[in-house]
Amino acid sequence: MWLPIIGLLVGILLGLFSDFRVPDEYSSYLSIAVLAALDTLFGGIRAHLDKVFEEKVFLTGFFSNIILAAGLAFLGVHLGVDLYLAAVFAFGVRLFHNLALIRRTLLSNWSLKRKNN
Amino acid sequence: MKDKMIIFTCVTTIIGFMIAIQFQTTNEPEYRDTRNIHELRQALAMEKDRQKQLNVEMEKQIDLLYQLQQTEDVESVMGDTIDELRERAGLTEINGQGVIIDISLVFDEDYLGGPIRSIPPYLLRMLVNELNINGAKEIAIGHQRLISTSSIREANGVTLINSARVTQFPLRVRVLSDDPESLHHAIMSSQSREFFSYENFSINSTPINYVSLPAFEKPVRVRHMEIIKEE
Repeated sequence: MWLPIIGLLVGILLGLFSDFRVPDEYSSYLSIAVLAALDTLFGGIRAHLDKVFEEKVFLTGFFSNIILAAGLAFLGVHLGVDLYLAAVFAFGVRLFHNLALIRRTLLSNWSLKRKNN
Repeated sequence: MKDKMIIFTCVTTIIGFMIAIQFQTTNEPEYRDTRNIHELRQALAMEKDRQKQLNVEMEKQIDLLYQLQQTEDVESVMGDTIDELRERAGLTEINGQGVIIDISLVFDEDYLGGPIRSIPPYLLRMLVNELNINGAKEIAIGHQRLISTSSIREANGVTLINSARVTQFPLRVRVLSDDPESLHHAIMSSQSREFFSYENFSINSTPINYVSLPAFEKPVRVRHMEIIKEE
């Protein structure tokens, strides 16, 4: 349970101390990639709680979502249409949806436990 | 179960890394002071000068306040102050030692250009800048006194100073200075003299013991300024 959180902290520290910077024009791609990654992560947590988690689906989803989102943003820049908004919208909606489902599952699990006790 | 946790950990590590990089990228790089000792000393000297000026100014104001508090007749002190301020703003005639600069036309035998109606504004601006650099206190071009809001520009091929046409030749520029001799030498050896000659003008300056500058005659329009109310 604690391992992923430790991993997150390690990643953040690694990023802060490596002093690695992305050029300004690419920072929008990175932000959308972060959004895609978060979406996949929450999707994975939900699947885990629903007991339908599959490693292959999770990993492929993680990378393909990031690549698709960055690709959409890239295409948008070259077409002059803000296509990255589509990705932001889709991922945002899914993020909230997943979060709501996670909350419900956790709540129902908790109340179940209390009843049993 | 263990595999699952490892995968989650890898993914969260990647996410953390990306977030950290994004955070660093969007964060403005902090301002770094890269001045060396010489530049710092210069800045310090400048600030000290400024402090000295401010002290002098403050002393003057305190003096004025004291006068106002002491005298029964406040009006005369205020009148004096207004007169002084008018003089500093260039609204009064002023005289003293200075330099007279005559700008006249010079034509070669093989001059092929058209008639010259007035001096291009960029040349006048250059001359004014050079005068100011070399310690001019007050400047008047022709009958136009230069004040802080004076304009030198061109409209329809004619140069306007304070929105008045300046077309007469030779054009006389009168300058007040504490050290007319050095100003005279500076102008006679200046770069603007060369630039004037390219446009068929010649500059001749003479230091003089007594020169009178006209007052600024038009109403002074004050824009972009407002009164600061005392709290």
